[in-house]
Amino acid sequence: MKQILVIDDAATVRLYHRGILESGGYRVTEAVNGVEGLERVAETAFDLYFVDVNMPVLDGYGFLRELRSRDGPQPPAIMVSTEAGEQDRRLALEVGASHYMIKPVRPETLLACARLLLGERSTP
Amino acid sequence: MALRRRPPAGTTTQDERRLARDFAGLVAALDDPDPTTRRWAARDLEAHREASPALVARLAVETDVSVREVILTSLTCLGDDTAVDGLIQALRSEDALLRNGAIVALQQLPDAVAPRMEALLADPDSDVRIFAVRVLESLRHPRVEDWLLEVIERDAHLNVCATAVDLLGEVASPRARAPLEALKRRFPDEPYIQFAADLALRRIGEV
Amino acid sequence: MPEIQISDGDFLRLREFFYRKTGILFEPSKRYFVDKRLIERIRATDCEDFRSYFTMLRFQASGQELQTLVNAMTVNETYFFREEYQFACLVNSMLPEILAHRTDRDPIRIWSIPSSSGEEPYGIAIYLLEHWKTLSEWDVEIVSSDIDTDILARAREGLYQARAVQHLPAPLLSKYFTRKGDGYRISETLREVVDFTRVNLAEPAAVRMYRNFDVIFCRNLLIYFDDLSRKQAAESLYDVLRPGGFLCLGHSESMSRMSLLFRVRRFPEAIVYQKPWGAR
Repeated sequence: MKQILVIDDAATVRLYHRGILESGGYRVTEAVNGVEGLERVAETAFDLYFVDVNMPVLDGYGFLRELRSRDGPQPPAIMVSTEAGEQDRRLALEVGASHYMIKPVRPETLLACARLLLGERSTP
Repeated sequence: MALRRRPPAGTTTQDERRLARDFAGLVAALDDPDPTTRRWAARDLEAHREASPALVARLAVETDVSVREVILTSLTCLGDDTAVDGLIQALRSEDALLRNGAIVALQQLPDAVAPRMEALLADPDSDVRIFAVRVLESLRHPRVEDWLLEVIERDAHLNVCATAVDLLGEVASPRARAPLEALKRRFPDEPYIQFAADLALRRIGEV
Repeated sequence: MPEIQISDGDFLRLREFFYRKTGILFEPSKRYFVDKRLIERIRATDCEDFRSYFTMLRFQASGQELQTLVNAMTVNETYFFREEYQFACLVNSMLPEILAHRTDRDPIRIWSIPSSSGEEPYGIAIYLLEHWKTLSEWDVEIVSSDIDTDILARAREGLYQARAVQHLPAPLLSKYFTRKGDGYRISETLREVVDFTRVNLAEPAAVRMYRNFDVIFCRNLLIYFDDLSRKQAAESLYDVLRPGGFLCLGHSESMSRMSLLFRVRRFPEAIVYQKPWGAR
């Protein structure tokens, strides 16, 4: 079963993502900020990350920057943000996001994006 | 070579804080080229009540994250008007790390933040309103639920409301029921709002 | 006394709040334990029900009740070789990395805070003597501090009940301790090598005397601090360490509730935190 790490400081958002991704057959782990995300990464090898931009202690950019500076396999990461600006999108891609999504994300879009980045065919 | 106790002269080998430790010396040290010196200056300035203007000024230009973190901590400890206004200014920064650091700092200052909250929640910039709602996440103030309910009743912006309804999952009381129902009617086609409002409603209903 | 009920929704609210604040996530299997402790706190604070208690917990200006609740929900006991895997990590992973970067012959410095009654710093000393062969090539200083002068006096005394030494292998017990009445006394040699000092970690000005440490053990202390004091203490500890120095927290503690300054390092034995090698 593919493992996905959801990093968001809002408990409700984590629950929402968890519900959708679990319904798609994925196993979900949660973290409340970038540092906790890095702690989870130290424990488990994930196949995909969903990363919020604005979080306390270490934000999503900081998380990805640290992650992408490391050697070894680099699973795809989807950055999720309330900010729709072109600059925010560019910055996310620059720090190593594979895709940038604007909140709130619709369930079918979330799942389709996960499938695509995990290299799975979406359900016909 | 083995375990041994250090010589009794003192724990520190030498004091690296070579600049004068009076107020003027500490303020000058905030501009020192060495980040460790700046960190120590920012830390020690916490004990000087008149330090906020210098710390706010440095925060605006400081690029070293470790120094910035200590400046944010000292501004939180000082917590005066200059400090709070400086932190609120940082909410508008382009730098996500600084913005989020300011949010964490403001969460610790309920009495100073409360009189400014109405204005922040009415800011024309929806990003600033979202950050203001996020300050409420950990704010220890009795009006938190009132502010959140005002947001979900009045704010037209989807993500400002979404951020507020997130927090209502934690703090909503029975009087949030009607505003939550109204929010669901206002955004009938937004699955996230429906999910978050239902979650908050379920938690109220179960008592 | 009216019966206090904790609904599923109440449990979830508390669970999320407690996790956000401390990083500790109550497993559903712990529900009985959590409810029991929670009801005790609701009664002790004269609250009517969960809702009024939770409102107090969430909004209380001092944050005192949260600290009391953390205390009630965590087990804080101290004994020799508690969380021994971190000592293994010290010997097998942290010290080798530190020595690989060392260009001088200054002593390796280890700080154990809080000292409590001395089980941790003496335990580190025993562990190094027993398991770190390289000890013969380096000087090692162990400093251990606490806020409480009475407990420091007890630590210097080095007298322990059987319970404190129950996890020590018998050969070590006879090697480093002598029987004293019902208990055990740590050997004179070990009492001489550990330096006990008083410090309040919540006062940055007091911590400034502590510098150039290679490893800090600060376990099960910061979790009892409020948010701001915890961040401030973590930042102080950053300047206590040399670049590349390590910070070990307790197994239920997470740096994610404190500071972004440290790097998360995964070693085979444990996850620890590191001041970056390039830090200035």
